[in-house]
Amino acid sequence: MKNKPVPEKWTVTFIVSRQKGQGKRHFEQFNLEVDPEEYVLDGIERIWAFHDRSLTFRHACHHSTCGACGMLVNGVEKLTCITPIRSVTKDSGTLRVEPLRNFPVVSDLAVDMASFYLNLEKAQFSQVAPIQNASLPFEDQSMEGDLERLVDCIECGMCVSACPAAHTSSGYLGPGALAAFQHSLNQKNDPRLYDLVDCHDGPWRCHNAFECSAVCPSNVDPAWRIMNLRRKIVSHRLRRLFKRREAAKP
Amino acid sequence: MKNAPSPAHWLRWFDPRYRQPGTWGYILNRITAIGLTIYLVLHLGVLSTLAKGPGAYDSFITLVKSPGFMLGELLVVAGGIIHGTNGIRIVLNSFGVGVRDQKVILAILMALSIIGIAYFAYVMFLVD
Amino acid sequence: MAGMISKPKQHETVWLWLYKLLSGVVIVVLLSVHFVVNHLVAPGGLLTYADILRYYSNPIVPVMEIAFLVFAVTHSFVGMRSIFLDLNPSPRLIRFVDWALVFLGGGAIVYGTWLVLLIASGG
Repeated sequence: MKNKPVPEKWTVTFIVSRQKGQGKRHFEQFNLEVDPEEYVLDGIERIWAFHDRSLTFRHACHHSTCGACGMLVNGVEKLTCITPIRSVTKDSGTLRVEPLRNFPVVSDLAVDMASFYLNLEKAQFSQVAPIQNASLPFEDQSMEGDLERLVDCIECGMCVSACPAAHTSSGYLGPGALAAFQHSLNQKNDPRLYDLVDCHDGPWRCHNAFECSAVCPSNVDPAWRIMNLRRKIVSHRLRRLFKRREAAKP
Repeated sequence: MKNAPSPAHWLRWFDPRYRQPGTWGYILNRITAIGLTIYLVLHLGVLSTLAKGPGAYDSFITLVKSPGFMLGELLVVAGGIIHGTNGIRIVLNSFGVGVRDQKVILAILMALSIIGIAYFAYVMFLVD
Repeated sequence: MAGMISKPKQHETVWLWLYKLLSGVVIVVLLSVHFVVNHLVAPGGLLTYADILRYYSNPIVPVMEIAFLVFAVTHSFVGMRSIFLDLNPSPRLIRFVDWALVFLGGGAIVYGTWLVLLIASGG
């Protein structure tokens, strides 16, 4: 008879970024005994529950659907509810946790996501769309029929955190919002959307780093969508240019 | 607030830690762009010696043949090749080619760049 | 508030970006030609003033070099402007930099063209 495996016990030092109000950002260390199969978010919660009740962080669904728990783990954007501890550290190792970049810190690990949500809103995309519009063209769309699905974006903001262009420009729409514009143009080819996105805060601010697609936990592939958006804008503007020429002819 | 986007964070553009290959391409492209622009200005400037007649230009050329100068020229050529191949990567990606294989394409283009630069170094320093 | 979307800043639209890409491709071609003829075609490269005069006596050369100059300066300045726009400057600052770039870029092109014509006419 096979025995149930005994969970391993690791000792990991969590190095957590702390910042309260206008105070200086600093790191605090917490030694935790963890099961390496647990997730980074579990560790953060245990720090809050048993070590420091003033630790502020966001979490909700715990299964990569809500997008609330994005943080920087050892310098890389991760959705902490699905990041097993064993994938980012080892026994007697350290684990550095910081808030997402490119958003003002509200407190400790929680950041102000307002600008991100406002940019997404500019795209006016529908969260539910027919499969052909919502999926990437190279995805398996073999399910036939008039089916709709939720678009992939869980609005976690990790793409904006990873984007080098977003470091210096708060005006930049960002990969998430640009991907939303591309979704929106797929769903409804409203020409006014082109006027909104064809500006210097649009896809021309992207310089092909591809960080966004690398950290997206939800298969949005914002970088692919930005490249596609560029083509959409070029062909739309060219078509409009030639249509005007046609109309202007006597 | 400290974590918000700000022009003061421009140094972060060049921080390669924990970054994707695409960002390495971006960093190289940005550094070579600035370097090549400075070179363009200098190049146009020194060409003014042409207007001063054969004496000025020919004596400038003897200066250019010194090893220090030639090393500088090699850097410019390297910068030009890297910037050009990165630009090709961006043109390809923007027109839908190789977006999903962008890491592989970047690696191939960088390998070609290194080969090109090595060839130039060979010709510049060992053939003449 | 919902539905209220302000007009975006139009300091860079598709045309400038497209020009940057296409001029980049043109430069790859022209630069290769410029490099090959400057260093490889003339025996030992264009090492003396006399070599250069001879090189520029072929009428296609001034045309190619001026074209190269225009594309190189414009591509470089549009690119520098893009890096500047990454810093999210104010519209006033953008206008100031735009005029500075046009002035400096135009000046560089005029100066370069004058040099080419000077040499093409025999110095």
